[in-house]
Amino acid sequence: MGIQVQFRKEAAELLSSGAVKLVIGYGEGSTPERRRPVFVRTPAETERLVLDGACVANLSTYLISEGLLSDGKNVAVFLKPDGIRSINILAAEAQLNPEQVVIFGFDIENGEARPLAGRKASDFTQVVEAAKAAGLSPELQKEAERLDHISAAERFEYWKEQFSKCIKCYACRQVCPMCYCRRCIVDVNQPQWINTSSHTLGNFEWNIVRAFHLAGRCVACGGCDRSCPVNIPLRLINHRMAKEVLDAFDYYAGESTDQKPVLATFRQDDPETFIL
Amino acid sequence: MSEPFEPKIVAFVCTYCTYAGADLAGTSRMKYASNVRIVRLPCTGRISPMFILKALQKGADGVLVSGCHPGDCHFAQGNYHARRRWTVFRALLAFTGIPEQRIRFSWISAAEGAKFAELINSLTEDIRKLGPFEQYHELQTVIETQSTY
Repeated sequence: MGIQVQFRKEAAELLSSGAVKLVIGYGEGSTPERRRPVFVRTPAETERLVLDGACVANLSTYLISEGLLSDGKNVAVFLKPDGIRSINILAAEAQLNPEQVVIFGFDIENGEARPLAGRKASDFTQVVEAAKAAGLSPELQKEAERLDHISAAERFEYWKEQFSKCIKCYACRQVCPMCYCRRCIVDVNQPQWINTSSHTLGNFEWNIVRAFHLAGRCVACGGCDRSCPVNIPLRLINHRMAKEVLDAFDYYAGESTDQKPVLATFRQDDPETFIL
Repeated sequence: MSEPFEPKIVAFVCTYCTYAGADLAGTSRMKYASNVRIVRLPCTGRISPMFILKALQKGADGVLVSGCHPGDCHFAQGNYHARRRWTVFRALLAFTGIPEQRIRFSWISAAEGAKFAELINSLTEDIRKLGPFEQYHELQTVIETQSTY
């Protein structure tokens, strides 16, 4: 039995028994190689669910929709290991109760989706451990190192060119499961920290602040990168931050539902080589 | 002969240690470069990275962030939290091409007036050598001079 058939069947069972009120999964997209999120509320609708190698989006972002989980009912969601880590972070940051989330775990190997055993966030500890052991993306690391080795002025020019393209559509924020603030810092106008028009300085500030807010929280699902209409390599800057917290604090985001956020905790012997 | 470049430096300091240290430098009649503008905050834990960005946006050539030594924080752990934040923020600024030499961090206690004066002097000299932070300020100039914004 293929994974798609299996997940459809299990989703239908969960819906008909009332164990979950909603299943968030993938459906046909606008082109054959694209998938879009579908929200299934009845057993019959589970026929719309698709699962294959093209299902790359991190659907955990829909769980933080306001009011979705506030009735205490459960929601099922299709998640890759990065999405499972997102659930762990959201639970650790008290944004959701992991008991309310039923996970249809899968991973993509050689373009094929294969199921991961488990239904609760805590069932996937080994999956997350394996992801941690596999390390951060080598391709991104290569590019980050290339940038690390050029001069600061050249790096500035690189990012200036990238950020000058930004149109401040905030798609990166909207797609991100970690961007759940009711009032984002760019929307604060007293005081106005960040220039809101999309000139390069304002774009610089916005992207720096977003990267800072994602430091030690980003799971590298790549949603921001894919959603960016002007192709700014946002994944790269987030990768660099993930590398920093890993090297400095041995911290890997989303290991468990009770892992303390990296910037909300400290050790007395944290490195401080740069402090005079 | 043209006048030497006088950098603008903003220092975000905590009120219990570094501000008191700066005060000691003053009451001890120690001279230090007048390029620094001190902003006093309750604790280094209160110093948001936004402050640093705002200072650069408004024309600072260098920024100093300073507070109590580890273990000496008036609020027990404010500086430990700040230290983690700085580690990450500093790496981020460096990665986006904002030179590390322009954003400096230090621990200065209330008894270290001399260290404060020395640090300000050496920091001012370093930034003077680097010159104005044209690359960043140019972005602000574009906004002010182009009517499309």
